[in-house]
Amino acid sequence: MSVNIVTNNSGKCHLALEGLYDVYDPEIGLNVVDLGLIYQLDFDEDEKKLDATMTLTTQFCPMGESITSDVTRSLSGSFPEWQINVNLTFDPPWDYTRISPEGNQFLGR
Amino acid sequence: MLTPITGGLQQTTDYRAVLPFYIYASVSFLVATALLLLHTDIVASHYFNPYTLSITHIMALGWGTMIIFGASHQLLPVLAEGRLYSTWLAYLTFAFTGTGIPALITGFYIFHTGSILQTGALLINAGVIFYLINVFRSTFKSKTRNVHAWYIITATAWLFSTTFFGLLLVYNFNAKILPADSVSYLSIHAHLGLAGWFLLMVTGVGSRLIPMFLISKYTNEKILWRIFILINAGLISFIILKVIGVSAIFFYIPVALVLSAIILFGRYCREAYKVRIRKNVDEQMKTSLLSVIQMLLPFVALIITLAFLPAEGYPHITLLYGFCIFFGWITAIIFGMTFKTLPFIVWNKVYHKKAHAGKTPAPKELFSEKVYHAMLITYLTGFIAFIPGIIFLNSFFLKLGAAALLAAAVLYVFNISKTLLHQPKKP
Repeated sequence: MSVNIVTNNSGKCHLALEGLYDVYDPEIGLNVVDLGLIYQLDFDEDEKKLDATMTLTTQFCPMGESITSDVTRSLSGSFPEWQINVNLTFDPPWDYTRISPEGNQFLGR
Repeated sequence: MLTPITGGLQQTTDYRAVLPFYIYASVSFLVATALLLLHTDIVASHYFNPYTLSITHIMALGWGTMIIFGASHQLLPVLAEGRLYSTWLAYLTFAFTGTGIPALITGFYIFHTGSILQTGALLINAGVIFYLINVFRSTFKSKTRNVHAWYIITATAWLFSTTFFGLLLVYNFNAKILPADSVSYLSIHAHLGLAGWFLLMVTGVGSRLIPMFLISKYTNEKILWRIFILINAGLISFIILKVIGVSAIFFYIPVALVLSAIILFGRYCREAYKVRIRKNVDEQMKTSLLSVIQMLLPFVALIITLAFLPAEGYPHITLLYGFCIFFGWITAIIFGMTFKTLPFIVWNKVYHKKAHAGKTPAPKELFSEKVYHAMLITYLTGFIAFIPGIIFLNSFFLKLGAAALLAAAVLYVFNISKTLLHQPKKP
C-alpha cells in the first residue's frame, strides 16, 4: 500500500481504508484510495468522531454525489458507533500525481 | 491547507430532462437510415428534392441536434461549471422541438410547402428559443465563463440563426419575403448549422470531454480560442462571400479557415491522447477519436468540387459532402459519446442511493460491448460502401451501404434500449 493520506491514527486509518478500497469511481473503475481522492482522516477517540476530507477529480463530476455518499456509507460501516463527517475540498485540487503506483498500474501506465 | 467547500456538491441534471432526447435521437437515426435505404436513388438527383431534404433534416435535427440537446442538458455543469438553469425549459425544448421535427419532415417528404412545413418550423424555433434561454441563463449565472462555455453560448446562438433562417426560407416558398428563391440560400442555411452549431459545439464539448475520459492532464486554452476564432471567421466570411456573390476561388478562404480549425482540433486531441493517464482506451473513445479524423473527409469532397468540378453538373459530389458530415463525422461522435454518457446517467438513476449497498455493475456493463463492436463494424462497412456508391452512382454499393447503416442503427437502438431498461439484480 502506498497512498498519500494525512492521519492522526494509522491503525484506525488502515481499518477505514479496508472499506474505502471497495468504493470506486464508476467512470475510471479505480477505488477512491488508489485514485488519491482521500486527503485526510482525523479520528477523535474521545468524541468518537471521524472527519474525512476528500476531493473529486473535478468539482463538476457528474458522479460526485454518488462517490461521496459511498465514502460516507463505507466509513459508517467501518466505524458504526462513530459520527462521520465527510468534507469535500477542491483546495488543493486533485491531480494525477496523487494516483498510487497500484492505481497507475491499473490504468496501464 | 485543506479548505472544505461550503456550498455542497454541484447537482446533476434530473435524468427525466435528459433521457427523452436520447430516445428521440435513436429513433430518428433508425428512421433516417430506413429512408436512406428506401431512396438510395436520390444521390443521382439534385439535393433540393423531398427525400434528400427529409433525410438531411432528420439527421440534422432529430439525430444530431436532439442528442446534443440531451447531452448538453446533462453536461452543462461539467462544461460551464454551473448548474442547469431550468429543468422545465428542458422539458419545453423537448416538447416543442420533438413535435416540430415530424411536422417539418412530413412537410418535406410530401413536399407540402404550406401549413405543415410552417408549423414544424415554428415549433422547432420555439424549442430552440427555450434551449437558448436555458443555456444563456445557465452560463451567465456563473461569475466566470471558461472557453468551453463560450463555445456553447456561441454555438447555441448560431443554432438559433440556423433555425430562424430556416423558418424564413420555409415562408419564402409561398410568399416572397427574401430577395431570391429559397434554394439560393440553402448553402448559407446549411453552413450556419454545420459550422456554427455542430462544429463549434462538438469542438467545444469534445475538447473538454475527450481529455476528461482519457484522464489526460492536457489542456491548452490558447489553441481552443484559436479554433473558436477560426471557425467563426470561416463561417462569417462564407456568409459574406455568398451574399455579395463572388467567384468560386474566394471560397477557399472559409475552407482554409475552417480546415485550419479542424487540424488544430485534431492536434489538440492528439496531444491529449499522448499524455493520457489511462492507457487502455475503450472502444467508445476510439470511435470518438475516429470521428475527429472523419472531420477531414467532407473537405476532400469540398475541395474536389471547388477545384475540379462544375457543381451543377455533379450534384452527387455535393451529396458526398453532406453524407460525410452527417453519416460520417456527426454519427461517429454520437456513437462514441452516447455510450460514454448514457450509461452514467442511467447508472446514477438506478444506483445513486444504493451504490455501496452491495456489488453494483460498472456503468459500462449496462450496455453490451459485443453489440457495440458489431454496430461499429456494420457502421464502418456501411459508411465506406456508400461512398463509392455516391461517386460512381453504383446502386449495389448504395444499397449495401444503406443496408449496413440501417443494421448499425438497429444495433444502436438495441443497446440504447438495453441501457435504458436496466434493472438492478435482486439480491
